[in-house]
Amino acid sequence: MSTRDPERLEVLQGTLDLLILQILARASLHGHAIAQAIERQSDEVLRIGHGSLYPALQRLLKHGLIAAEDGVSENNRAARFYKLTAKGRKKLSVETSKWNKLSAAMVRILNPA
Amino acid sequence: MNWFKRRDDRLRAEMEEHIDFETQQNIDAGMSPTEARRRALEKFGNVTLAREESRDVWGLLWLDRLWQDLRYAIRGFFRNPGFTAVALISLVLGIGASTALFSVVYGVLISPYPYAKPDEIWAPAVVPLKEKVQGWHSYPRRELLEIQKLPAFSEVMATGFEQSMITSAGYPESMLGIQLTANAFHFIGVPPLLGRTIQPFDVHPGGEREPVVVLSYGFWQTHFNGDPNVLGKKLDLNNLPFTVIGVMPSRFGWFTNEAFWLPMPMDKLDQDFDVNVIMRLKAGVTPQAAEQQLQALNIQLAHAKPDHFPKTGFRTQLLNYMDITVASGDMKSSLQMLFAAVGFLLLIACANVANLQLARTTTRVREIAVRLSIGAGRARLIRQLLTESVVLSLVGGGLGVCFAFGAINLMVRLMPPDDVPNEARIVINGYVLLFTFVISVLTGILFGLAPALRCSRPNLVEALKDGTRGAGNAARGQATRSGLVVAEVALSVILLAGASLAIRSFETLLHISPGFEPQRMLRVQVSLPPKQYPALDQRDRFADMVVANIQRLPGVHSVAIGNGAMPYGGASSTYSIEGQPKEEEKRVQISLVSEDYLRALGTPLKRGRRFTHSEVLHGEHIAWINETAAKLWASGTDPIGKRITLDILKADLGSQVLMPAGAASPVTVIGVIADTRNDGLRAATSPAVYIPYTLVAPPVREIAVRTFGDPSALLNAVRNEIHNVDKDVPIGRARTLEEIYGEEVAQPRFNMALFSSFAGIGLALAVAGVFSVISYDVTQRMHEIGVRLALGASKADVLALVFRIVTRVVVLGLVIGLSASAILERLVKFQVFATASFDWISVAGVVVVLGVTTVIAALIPARRAASFDPVSALRHEA
Repeated sequence: MSTRDPERLEVLQGTLDLLILQILARASLHGHAIAQAIERQSDEVLRIGHGSLYPALQRLLKHGLIAAEDGVSENNRAARFYKLTAKGRKKLSVETSKWNKLSAAMVRILNPA
Repeated sequence: MNWFKRRDDRLRAEMEEHIDFETQQNIDAGMSPTEARRRALEKFGNVTLAREESRDVWGLLWLDRLWQDLRYAIRGFFRNPGFTAVALISLVLGIGASTALFSVVYGVLISPYPYAKPDEIWAPAVVPLKEKVQGWHSYPRRELLEIQKLPAFSEVMATGFEQSMITSAGYPESMLGIQLTANAFHFIGVPPLLGRTIQPFDVHPGGEREPVVVLSYGFWQTHFNGDPNVLGKKLDLNNLPFTVIGVMPSRFGWFTNEAFWLPMPMDKLDQDFDVNVIMRLKAGVTPQAAEQQLQALNIQLAHAKPDHFPKTGFRTQLLNYMDITVASGDMKSSLQMLFAAVGFLLLIACANVANLQLARTTTRVREIAVRLSIGAGRARLIRQLLTESVVLSLVGGGLGVCFAFGAINLMVRLMPPDDVPNEARIVINGYVLLFTFVISVLTGILFGLAPALRCSRPNLVEALKDGTRGAGNAARGQATRSGLVVAEVALSVILLAGASLAIRSFETLLHISPGFEPQRMLRVQVSLPPKQYPALDQRDRFADMVVANIQRLPGVHSVAIGNGAMPYGGASSTYSIEGQPKEEEKRVQISLVSEDYLRALGTPLKRGRRFTHSEVLHGEHIAWINETAAKLWASGTDPIGKRITLDILKADLGSQVLMPAGAASPVTVIGVIADTRNDGLRAATSPAVYIPYTLVAPPVREIAVRTFGDPSALLNAVRNEIHNVDKDVPIGRARTLEEIYGEEVAQPRFNMALFSSFAGIGLALAVAGVFSVISYDVTQRMHEIGVRLALGASKADVLALVFRIVTRVVVLGLVIGLSASAILERLVKFQVFATASFDWISVAGVVVVLGVTTVIAALIPARRAASFDPVSALRHEA
């Protein structure tokens, strides 16, 4: 793997995966579109390059959280489209509620009032 | 593989698409095509990294890397043929020898038997109190029935012997058939090759047995030519027809390889004979519990028949069948020592290859430094170097197996047949291959670890500099390499020490005078069927005539009868010397001889006189004793003229052994003969008494024939003479005394051959190691030598320099090796060797051999160093 600090990488991996799931919850997109959507939402995450999207997609595919199928993109080129599976949808809602609970708790701790 | 490639290609295409898309967007936003593409690539990041990480997710990255490493390693080997060749040779010899020896160990010690659960078979031993276990106790058949009733045993079977005279076409023949109880084949658990085995219904309730016989594979081949229709055919044993009901496979050799098995009759128990009993324990019963039950039974039996048991008390012990029979004693300790020796050999080979690897990696320092500097992890590098080593040793292992085939053939030919179970099969089987695989991998890791660890941490800056000699590295490397060579030399010394001991003990054994002359001696056994020879005088007359006839043959020097001293073994008996208190439990050997015995065997008469022909013919009560027996008389007493009573002549020896009236009366000693090794070459001489053969007539006579020329040439003539007296008499296998004598030395010869081979190979490898290290050192020091030469050193000085290096290494190795040998000797106690001490001659021998070989090895690099041209040496950059 790269020479990055492994801890940071793990955190980024986790966030990246979640972001992808969230984006795909709204629509099926191909790789480039996903990258652009992430860029809009969080610049930080993809600072290591669009390329890091692909290992993440492979990971999500391997765990069965998303599925891929071939299609045609906006400019009539062949492209691979990714969509959320039922399993992925469930995972997304579970993770989202976890995050929400965590951040609510953090807010309470940090702002005692 | 295809599917993976497709997936890989698809990903690459997808990423390409992504970049194109971005590029297109950039163009649309107004950038130039080149700028657009550059920006897109920048945004994407490292394509290869993305691909690798994706592949990692798929989980096959390690496979990829392994494949890469393998290809790289193999390319490297082809590029360095010299290194590869020498390394492979070392590995082939080391791993090959280990594999060969392991096959022997497996076939002889670990799994020699095809029997069902051989480690769960037990044999009873009756041990006199305060003494060590001698051997198996045999029981008469009646007592076997009692043992079978004991609750501790789930199954009890017995094996007996039946001297059988086979009358078939050609010569009548005498063979020892094996009797087995009806449950034996079930106990042993080996199915027949053809037909069926002996079953319980083959012995009737009253004990009578069916006349059926099961043939061994050997017998089936020699006597029935492997006829597939042999079942149902008849075989005449002792003039009774037996039906062949089955043939056993070739590996089955219960007590015989070449005879046959018969049901054991359980009737006529009053004419009892002894059988060897073995048993299996019931589930949950410990051997100790079984021993107690058997001891209780033995005590009862001892009350009824006190002669069968030691008079001074005894205990019962159950011996595991594997312990008694598996290469008992000698062979087992030999193999253990040889296994250790081959382990040392393998270590030497490892050290050699490690040395070679180290030399090679110091030349690769730059390559490694480059790789490290572009980001290869240290772990990755070590993994790659280890892969190389393991590949090399696996290839060496594979070739080593081929080497082992040949080596095994030689080893088997040298193995002493008596010390190895019949059924042992020495082959390269699955277990052996597994062993080879495992030690190849371990060897690879062992010799690869040091170089891998060392060179994955080079001083990067130094290594990348042009024209570097990496002085610091080289010095450290040199120390490791020298250390390895010292270790090689030390191990080699240990092997040489072992070999020299083996050689010397073999020598010693060869030089033991047996007390007779084994050359040009033939021994023939003649069996007299008791039905045709029921009377004593018939047997005596037969013997006399045969001896006289053979004597008349041209080429015969002398003929004699010699039951029991031909040359070892024989009956033994307790005795009482007239005028002296009787010593219980002490025995003398008894031999039945004719008057020419001394001349035939070549044993000198020390005092007194020989028997005369007439004395022998009339069965006079006279005897010879050997020198050891002479010591049984009170010191100062001359045994000649004294009388001794032999108790065995008083006992009832069964209906087959005939004795004249008054045989039990004492015999008078008329002569003392020289000691012979009558208990085997390695055991001390037993006291022995020689009486005329006419005093006892067993149905078998042993005849010794001393010839002037080659004894086997006269075999047929001798046979003819015997058949001239009686054409129906079966003649047992004739052997030369040299053959029999040769068997005694078979074990030490085996040890010597193997130890010497291992030591020889080890020495060759160690010397090669010394050579390579010195060579390399000289090359490294070229610059330094150039300086010396330029400053005025002579060629002799340079030679001296090189030899100083060699001497340091060799002497250190010698010292360590000799000390280690001395320590090991104390630990191991060398029961295997006749000479138990490691003496100065051996030490000197080892030092000389090692010294000479290493000097020769060092000569070439030394001369090369001395002939350096100082100018080019100075310019040389390593």
